[in-house]
Amino acid sequence: MIGPLVKNGIISGGVNTLFAVLIGILFGYALQRSGFTNSKKIAAAFYMKDVDVPVVMFTAIITASIGLWGLSLLGLIDLGKFYFLPSYLLPMVVGGFIFGIGMAVGGFCPGTSIASMVTGKIDAMVFVGGFLLGSLLFGDLYPLWDKFYNSDSNGVWRIDQLFNINVGLAVLLVTLLGVFGSIGMRKLQYKFWGKND
Amino acid sequence: MKKKLWDPVFGGVMIGIAIILTFYISGRGLGASGALTAFAATIQNWILPSVTQSSEYFSKYFANGANPLNDYLVFLVIGVMIGSFIAGIVSKDMKLEVLKGPNISNKGRLWYALVGGVLVGYAARMARGCTSGQALVGGAELSVGAWAFMFSIFAGGFAVAYFIRRQWI
Repeated sequence: MIGPLVKNGIISGGVNTLFAVLIGILFGYALQRSGFTNSKKIAAAFYMKDVDVPVVMFTAIITASIGLWGLSLLGLIDLGKFYFLPSYLLPMVVGGFIFGIGMAVGGFCPGTSIASMVTGKIDAMVFVGGFLLGSLLFGDLYPLWDKFYNSDSNGVWRIDQLFNINVGLAVLLVTLLGVFGSIGMRKLQYKFWGKND
Repeated sequence: MKKKLWDPVFGGVMIGIAIILTFYISGRGLGASGALTAFAATIQNWILPSVTQSSEYFSKYFANGANPLNDYLVFLVIGVMIGSFIAGIVSKDMKLEVLKGPNISNKGRLWYALVGGVLVGYAARMARGCTSGQALVGGAELSVGAWAFMFSIFAGGFAVAYFIRRQWI
């Protein structure tokens, strides 16, 4: 079966929605079991006190990247029917910086706050309330930043295109960055703080 | 006694598999922030329909009678809630509590959570996604913007961490 299954008519839209719920269950289960429902653990990453969060993130990216490009290499997914995220470089850099400040202050990102909220964490419930207000602020006052939001549009822009290299080599580079980044951060954690609490 | 957490590499592989499944089945990535914004827009459209309809950003959510809650990411986030709830029960980590460092009151921590939530809510829209939908998914797709977003998240977090250390350590 060649993916994407729903776009190739192999499964219906309804079955696709059912899969969305099932994949969400796997994602939510993995977030909780990785400790991502604990705001203290997430914030600890910004002090290098517990680097599990970036290690999980790097591992997830490497796994998904090898999966996506491996499926394509094997002819098991038609990338012509795949939706690639577009790059708007400057809004993403500025948005990312504010996002990082909010994550250190609030102790969550959107997915982790949802996962944490349902396990009874009150700080997560308040964070989600703040998130709803923040996204309304963006949308209701949109004319104030719509020019910036739509600036620096680069379309689908990938690392292999940026460096003019083969996709396989780009996946290898990202993998090496993730592996050595994880090991390096873990070494810094042990040097300054020791093992996880 | 809470159950021991997964090894972070195992947890990362599991999340990676969830992303591969959305790629292969649906031809797109997963995400969390889109569903929350759809929920916020729906509530506002219910209480203050004129504000929502006059917003250039939100009016398209409801164009031609559309329901923003009838969306792939909303169903995915419902799954996230079910999955985390089950995991919370099996690992005995279901408790009404406020998590924080030892040097701050509950009330203080909740103010930080609110302010952080507002900042992340705003920034996720500016960046067209969050840690899952933009950084993890875009990172796997090799998107230049997604990698820039992820490094900027760490830059922002490290920049402010020292000034708010009272809350966490």
